[in-house]
Amino acid sequence: MSVLLVRVDDRLIHGQVVIGWGRAVNCERIVLIDDGIAHNDWEQELYRMGVPENMTVEFVSVSEAASAYPAWTVNGQRTIVLLADVDTLVRFCSVAPVTKVNLGGIHGGEDRTERLSYVFLSQRELEQLRDLSARGIEITAQDVPTARAIALEDLAR
Amino acid sequence: MNPELWLLLLWGGLVGLDLVSVPQMMIARPLVAGTVAGVITGDPGSGMVVGVILELFALDILPVGGVRYPDYGPAAVAAAYTVAGAPGLLAVGVAVVLGLLVAYAGEWSLLALRRWNSWDVHRHAAQLDAGDATVMRRVHIRGIGRDAARAVLLTGFGLALADVVRRWSFISVRGAVLLAAVMIGVALATATVGTLRLTEGRRGITWFSVGLGLGVVWVVAR
Amino acid sequence: MRRAFVSTALRLFTVQGSWNHDRMLGLGLGYATEPLLRELPGGVSGDRYRAAMRRAGGYFNAHPYLTGLAAGAIARAEHDGIAGEQVERLRTVLLGPLGSVGDRLIWAGTLPAASGIGLVLSATAPIGVGAVTFFVLHNLAHLVVRFWGLRAGWRLGTAVARALASPALVTALKIVGPAAALLVGAALPITGAWLVSDLEVGARVAAAAMFVVAFLVTRWIAPTLRGTRLGLLVAAAVLIGEWM
Repeated sequence: MSVLLVRVDDRLIHGQVVIGWGRAVNCERIVLIDDGIAHNDWEQELYRMGVPENMTVEFVSVSEAASAYPAWTVNGQRTIVLLADVDTLVRFCSVAPVTKVNLGGIHGGEDRTERLSYVFLSQRELEQLRDLSARGIEITAQDVPTARAIALEDLAR
Repeated sequence: MNPELWLLLLWGGLVGLDLVSVPQMMIARPLVAGTVAGVITGDPGSGMVVGVILELFALDILPVGGVRYPDYGPAAVAAAYTVAGAPGLLAVGVAVVLGLLVAYAGEWSLLALRRWNSWDVHRHAAQLDAGDATVMRRVHIRGIGRDAARAVLLTGFGLALADVVRRWSFISVRGAVLLAAVMIGVALATATVGTLRLTEGRRGITWFSVGLGLGVVWVVAR
Repeated sequence: MRRAFVSTALRLFTVQGSWNHDRMLGLGLGYATEPLLRELPGGVSGDRYRAAMRRAGGYFNAHPYLTGLAAGAIARAEHDGIAGEQVERLRTVLLGPLGSVGDRLIWAGTLPAASGIGLVLSATAPIGVGAVTFFVLHNLAHLVVRFWGLRAGWRLGTAVARALASPALVTALKIVGPAAALLVGAALPITGAWLVSDLEVGARVAAAAMFVVAFLVTRWIAPTLRGTRLGLLVAAAVLIGEWM
């Protein structure tokens, strides 16, 4: 298994990912799944600047991710998968056999409420995550490897 | 209160404010905060020693993306006051423990501050999203004011605690030396683990080992 | 214009002043960018200023020293009359990479490197030399990054990726990580030997044993415990032992 982390984080490539997780799991490749960014060279160029030289980065859409996922899990490159929001996660999980999801950072929006200092979810997003959880996907919130992982049930008080 | 304590309170407020808010020049690092506090108490040597030990603890912190972290600046100020004038390493262990306690309290105070700022932002969200520059300036400056108050209160708490500890001999000489020794051990381990955590792959570990080797050679050669 | 630029540069020193979990340093970025936006055609009563301000205070996070790059780029994009949605996209896309680059350059690079030098000098040089050297070295890097960032952002606007790709920055990012590892590595034995030099043999053994135990615990057994809490636990144990 070489997909080490599937993470929802609206900042996508940033310090917690490349230093915190990248070094803890010894990451070699970041796969950024986002339909918008996958078709925008200007945005890709900026995100690429955030990637350290010892990692590679790939930008794919959800449908491309679906067909590429089997290859990621067998070809041995230690990979972190990043998605910006719950909607993308739901779409990705419906086309790829994801077993574990890390909530790393979802921030302020009009109808979102604070569940953790770094996880803000709307009622709809919470329901979506519960559905995924009911399908057997383990969902925890954890911003950095040295923090405690918090189960989805504990986010919804 | 004597002028020395007022100065320490002011210095603690400045270093506490420096950590997150203004101007982030890292006078908040215990090495600087503790050494300068030592100058204020008239015992710069002891201030520097506790500053160094707390600096080792602070090397554990990687403040990426708004994670929680202890506040070691006011902690180093309180520790420097605890240790001032005490002979040798006798008070160092106690001072470091007190520093850790204040740093930990500081972590909680930072969380409370962030919540308070959130509340203020929420209350004025409509005006902020309408682009009202006056409201934006006021909310922002209130945040800085709160952090300054937080830093002074935290330092005051630390100094009060230190004052009690200075008057109360609750530990034997043997116990005090043991405490200093184990705190030095934990501090060095914390710095080692913290540095390994942010060191990149095999290349980083190699450079870290080369550094360790050079340090050991230096120590042996002396 | 020059006055606005200086004002933004100064305000950026407070960029995390209202840090909160909702918008992180977004409000600070808006506050810092505002003087540059005031120079938009039409001034503070103009439509362009008002539109730009509506976009200025939302969620943003980055390394505080590098946030000037975002302030400059966003202000330049507004002055260039880039469409609103495009400016918002610029803001969103910048917040990750600026955090990544800044965290690697400063928090995992120049800061621990300067700290390592400060520790070595504290252990070996006259009192105060370590602290002053740390302060000077760290802030050399700090101030260079700050002013370079704001100027580069303002010069490049939406082409700000070119600043992050500049050879000097790329080289610096390659060097600082290993330098930090090397310097802190060297500082550990030197500082450790100096700290225990006044202890008798028994106490030195206790310090060494504690080092080994604390290392194993925080590295493998309980990484979430962290040094602060482990230190407090150990101290509690020593005090309880003392009072029994």
